[in-house]
Amino acid sequence: MTSQLLAGIRAIDMTEVWAGPMGTSLLGDLGADVIRLESFPRPPAISRPLREGTAVPGDGPPYERAGSHHMANRNKRNIAVNIRDDAGAEVVRRLASAVDVLIEGYSAGTIEGLGLGWERLHAINPRLVMISMPGWGVDGPYRGYATLGSGLDATLGHMAVRGYPGGPEDQVPVMYHTDATGAVGLVTAVVAGLLRREETGEGCFIDMSQAEAFAWQLPALQAEWTMHRRLPPRLGNADPHVVPHGCYRAAGGEAGADAWVVIAAENDVQWAGVARAAGHPEWAEPPHPWASVIGRLRSRAEIDAALAAFAATGTAEGVAHAVAEAGGIAAPVIFHIGLMTSPQIAHRDWLQTVDHRYAGTQTLAGFLWQVEPDAPSWDLACGLVGEHNHEVLQELGYSTDEVAALLERGAIGDRYGQ
Amino acid sequence: MAQPFSGVRVVEVGGTVAVAGATKSLSDYGASVVAVESRAGGEVRRLPPFPEDVPHLDRGAFHLALNTGKRSVALDHTSASGLEVLGVLAAQSDLVVLHLPPGEARRVLDVVARLGDGGPITVTLAVHGLDGPFAERDENDLSLFAWSNRMFRHSFDGQEPLRYSAQVATLQWASTATAVAASAIWGRRRDGVRRQIEVGGVEALAGNVDNWFVPWSFTGADTPRPAGLSRAVYPNGLLRATDGYVSFFAANEPFFSRLCRGIGHPEFATDPRFTDPAQKPAHFDEFMGYLREYLSTRTRNQVFLELQSHGVMVAPVLDVGESFEDAQAVARGSYVRVQQPGMGEHTLAGPPFRLEGAWSVTPAPALGEHTAAVLSELGYSAEEQIALFRAGVTG
Repeated sequence: MTSQLLAGIRAIDMTEVWAGPMGTSLLGDLGADVIRLESFPRPPAISRPLREGTAVPGDGPPYERAGSHHMANRNKRNIAVNIRDDAGAEVVRRLASAVDVLIEGYSAGTIEGLGLGWERLHAINPRLVMISMPGWGVDGPYRGYATLGSGLDATLGHMAVRGYPGGPEDQVPVMYHTDATGAVGLVTAVVAGLLRREETGEGCFIDMSQAEAFAWQLPALQAEWTMHRRLPPRLGNADPHVVPHGCYRAAGGEAGADAWVVIAAENDVQWAGVARAAGHPEWAEPPHPWASVIGRLRSRAEIDAALAAFAATGTAEGVAHAVAEAGGIAAPVIFHIGLMTSPQIAHRDWLQTVDHRYAGTQTLAGFLWQVEPDAPSWDLACGLVGEHNHEVLQELGYSTDEVAALLERGAIGDRYGQ
Repeated sequence: MAQPFSGVRVVEVGGTVAVAGATKSLSDYGASVVAVESRAGGEVRRLPPFPEDVPHLDRGAFHLALNTGKRSVALDHTSASGLEVLGVLAAQSDLVVLHLPPGEARRVLDVVARLGDGGPITVTLAVHGLDGPFAERDENDLSLFAWSNRMFRHSFDGQEPLRYSAQVATLQWASTATAVAASAIWGRRRDGVRRQIEVGGVEALAGNVDNWFVPWSFTGADTPRPAGLSRAVYPNGLLRATDGYVSFFAANEPFFSRLCRGIGHPEFATDPRFTDPAQKPAHFDEFMGYLREYLSTRTRNQVFLELQSHGVMVAPVLDVGESFEDAQAVARGSYVRVQQPGMGEHTLAGPPFRLEGAWSVTPAPALGEHTAAVLSELGYSAEEQIALFRAGVTG
């Protein structure tokens, strides 16, 4: 049985893609009974493709074997409901009356348009904690706008500093970091809502803008502007005040030929480790100009060149381990396989081996935390669409015949593309 | 209405960005947080920028942003005397959050363990966790990101992988700790169980999304990372409007059809040249010609408002100065001003989630500002406080 921190809490997940699904999986890891309400009859646009795409090879529908779905939907039960159908909307209202928390991630305003907004649901269940988590929040001029994490990164000013220094302005690697931020932020928001309900006896509404959930994590970027009206340039991996602080090409590694290692020294002690590992302990011994913080700052290009030459002498893993063992900071920039081969990850027994009806036996990323005495566990593999329709609806008081009628009507479903 | 974490007593130890970030939201949503910091001031106080570019332990941007509303106790927790004080403080707390080298962390955890089942919940931050072959290594924000497997894909094929901006990886780890700490507070109220939690930085990042490990482990294939726009799956990426760039994510349906309508060519949505995956790459230049023509007469904001009205996922690429003036940020009051003693007005990001009456932000403390007040609350006499100060234990 998984951790029991949130045992006894029932939650509905009405979100798509990554931030909401991942956040609600974390609630499941923590012991909440999470019911994922899957979009039906339209499959979630991005995470459940109807074509093979990122699906693991195998039999059964591709949308049950898609990697993007499997990374963020464990430890939940799954029902698939057409919320635009009257009988489907009634299922949602009956669910809302029976749970503690409802989380939705539609574009702002959509849920109200479906007759499932806060005022309606609060009237049905006065103790409901409801969280809306649209990209830019529930109100304001961007109400109703659609976005992914990349759009939030753009409006926060983070995208403008992420690309290669001096590189073309229109070329910035893709990232969706706000999804990761929103996922863990959601858990904190849920607990805050539950604590509020405990105090007042009343449910409450939480407006979680995924942009604002990330904005507080950019204090240096923001302060450059608010303190000095400066727009920081793209820095890549460099730090204006720390040398070395870079990423260097290695002579291969577990990732293949495209192998890189980061090396840094925040102080003289760590620098001495880097110097020893590179076979040049004298770099850290006065009067060598690189022995001091100031000397290193004034020799940035030379040190980068020396470390680039050093990194090219070994594998990313070999160079990183040599530096780390000597007391410097270094890490191979691990490719996915690095999680499989890391002795540290193995020691922590972190990766999870999971069986799934269609995806087979898979190795998946592990939990975000360790808890004693009640460790998280992978109790429910990623749910099939509508897998728990009967179970959940019968808990709500629907008879077997009524569930069959809902299926017949298309108000609920258990497959896409029919 | 009280703030949600009102009455929760938290002690943080370590003075790092990770530990300060982990307790920030608890503080801003009502918890009483005591930051136990070294007398010299830790990492979170030493990171730039500083006003006028003058280094100052009480004025760094990370300190000002992450230590809001906390009380600061300057204490050498590595000495026997300091550890004893920390134990007394922990005994009167609900939660201890720490980020220290593993040996020091274990000593603090031992002191807390002696308090038994009535002692506080513990949340320990360690980049690799407290045990295992890498546990003792020095790491930083850059190396954490490299280990997490997320940096590798933040690059173009064959080019140097890049980190996100400073401390973004570390603060993701920190906010992961916040989530599980908050849950443990809730859990204990329900079941009385004192939990001991460890949040490894690599695990916190590698286990979350924005991560392509699972698609790779499923298929054994990594998706390419081309520089510039994909000619097969378009338009995703940055395109130029008259005054800067707009970020597009409009290749997938239903967004592609909406885009075609938005730029005045609804017929493209059913045109096999642009919709058949086999034909689409050969017609990249043609489609982009139409799209660039549309963009050539519009500002970022015009493109954003027009195409969003059609439900297309686009966003203007703003610099950080512009982000403060962004209409949405202004309308919602996404940034707030704080009067910081000794410094004047300072701007901070507002609440990460909005619950009526739940969030407030007050200034960050000077280093050791509350040492005497907290020690007095713990029952130390004036003579005892002088003895600790004279011995170099407190500051």
